[in-house]
Amino acid sequence: MNSASTHELLSVKGLHKKYGAVTALRDVSFTVRRGEVTALLGDNGAGKSTTIKAIAGAAPADSGSILLDGQEVQIRRPADATSLGIQTVYQDLALCDNLGICANLFLGRERVSTPFKLLRDVDMEEEARRVLKTLRVNLPSLDTPVAALSGGQRQAVAIARAVLWGTKLVIMDEPTAALGVAQTAEVLRLVRDLAGQGFGVILITHNMQNVFEVADSVVVLRLGETVMEQRKDELTPEAVVGCITGSRTTIGGMA
Amino acid sequence: MSTNAVNTMTTTEIQSPLHRWVQKLMHSTDLGMMPVIAALIAIWIVFEFLNPHFLTPRNLSNLSAQIVVTGTLALAETFVILLGMIDLSIGWSSVVAASVFSVGTVFLNLPVWPCVFLGIGASVLLGFLQGLLVSRIGVPSFVVSLGGAMIAEGLVLAMLTQHGGSVPLSDNLSTAVGTLNVPPAWSWGISLVLFAAFAIVMLMRHADRRKRGAGEAHTIVIAKLAFMLAVVVIGVGLLCAYQGIPVLLMIFLAALFFCAFLTKSMRYGRHLYAVGGNAEAARRSGINVRFIQLSAFTIAGALVGLGGLLDAARLGVASATIGDGDVLLNAVAAAVIGGTSLFGGRGSVYGAFFGALVIASITNGMNLVGAPSSVRFGVEGFILLIAITLDTVLRQRRMRSGRA
Repeated sequence: MNSASTHELLSVKGLHKKYGAVTALRDVSFTVRRGEVTALLGDNGAGKSTTIKAIAGAAPADSGSILLDGQEVQIRRPADATSLGIQTVYQDLALCDNLGICANLFLGRERVSTPFKLLRDVDMEEEARRVLKTLRVNLPSLDTPVAALSGGQRQAVAIARAVLWGTKLVIMDEPTAALGVAQTAEVLRLVRDLAGQGFGVILITHNMQNVFEVADSVVVLRLGETVMEQRKDELTPEAVVGCITGSRTTIGGMA
Repeated sequence: MSTNAVNTMTTTEIQSPLHRWVQKLMHSTDLGMMPVIAALIAIWIVFEFLNPHFLTPRNLSNLSAQIVVTGTLALAETFVILLGMIDLSIGWSSVVAASVFSVGTVFLNLPVWPCVFLGIGASVLLGFLQGLLVSRIGVPSFVVSLGGAMIAEGLVLAMLTQHGGSVPLSDNLSTAVGTLNVPPAWSWGISLVLFAAFAIVMLMRHADRRKRGAGEAHTIVIAKLAFMLAVVVIGVGLLCAYQGIPVLLMIFLAALFFCAFLTKSMRYGRHLYAVGGNAEAARRSGINVRFIQLSAFTIAGALVGLGGLLDAARLGVASATIGDGDVLLNAVAAAVIGGTSLFGGRGSVYGAFFGALVIASITNGMNLVGAPSSVRFGVEGFILLIAITLDTVLRQRRMRSGRA
């Protein structure tokens, strides 16, 4: 869609990971381009979560390499990923329901003034409004507790937080799993917008319809290996499903 | 706290303000101070009706000193409850502080101020050690503080039994704190200067928000300030109509405002609420959850020590029998009645003030009316049950809406 910015942002090569005697990742390789949504698909146990954990630093891979902007990077801890500009929006969103929207956006990174570490609420609110505006997200007033928001709005807050924290790559784990139709559409619009603004997005989902709605390229894992990496335009849902379940053998385009 | 900034909810039905307010109330998941203030007004009306001496300056002055110990301990408990935990040791720990102070001043003839710090220090240490067990090892706070309470009781008996279980205080400081009032002129001066400082800060923040195209209307801010000024003037006026603000109350209010500053304006408070609301989310956001837990127990310890010393000053004696009484129960009840949720993450230090005022009002009013303790306990228990039921209902409502 956005052919203007199709530089490689993240390149994963030959990731390998063993949990004891179990090989979770055999050979996972794929590329995420800036300004694009890359859907990461696979059946349960295919290695999606392990791959994400490796990129997010939650559980580093045993071998293989990760390149960000063409440079090989070492991601050993979550903090490494964060400082490189990789943010993961987890399925459970990691929001504090009792705190307001603005407090959640800046959680752990509050703007404060010395010497008493006083919260600079007015500054934070201003910046929050700016980010929410660029994302075209409609939310009630910024001190509304997150508990009072709908599932889609909560998802939007989690995404806005990732954007606010100077991110290049946003990893989203099943963002629409618990949402209704209208809210799903809103979140998918947000995902598309993120890519439109130049972010790289990895979207993990089971919903084939979502994939064909927003993804630019599709990566399928099976038994810890990349078995498909293709542009969406060249694919049909049946081909992808076949590839996920393994009922159909690979159809080129893979590493 | 309600910035009615650009409210861009997708629902655009037009409703009257009153209708909207009722709707908001019906679906609200956090009522803040509203229930406790409503309860307070109801209690005051009932007692004033039963005995016209209730709302006299003299009785209100007594009442204001009676809230201090319960209030200070409730303040301590609020820090722990905000984490979704409980500290059952605060009753006995407060007596430890009083015992250390009394033994130091009366039998060891130490100067007063070092004894103040030793007494509070003892409670701080107790809080710190319990906090270590809770935050590092993950032992449930309920059990840790139950053990802590027993150890504290042991310490008190070790210190006071040889002196007959109670030590009358004779130093000037505790006598002054326990009995004196700040003279009316000073009471007015101090409270008006503090209010002016507060108002200036509020107005500056408001101006800053407005400059950046957000914030509430001027009239709302002015109305809020005018309301607060009215409360201050009426409160100080009533107390000054008797003998001025009791020193005990001054100390409690200082502790209250300090805690409010800590929990509402400083980053520490934001993190405290975050850990209480969702510890895992707080941890993933880079907040040091263990430090927050440890520090909350330690701060609670300091407030418990202060509460113990204030209690001893008020009674003029450090006594081992105090810990047995309803000190702990009153403090927990005050915090909960004040709207602080036992599930963690919700509530406010001001709840400790209002909750203590409810408890003290019932005790004071029942005494005035000449009702037996049985009735007093019954009424207090009833109000506590209402408060905790409300808390639970609101929580269930949040759980439902959270998954919508």
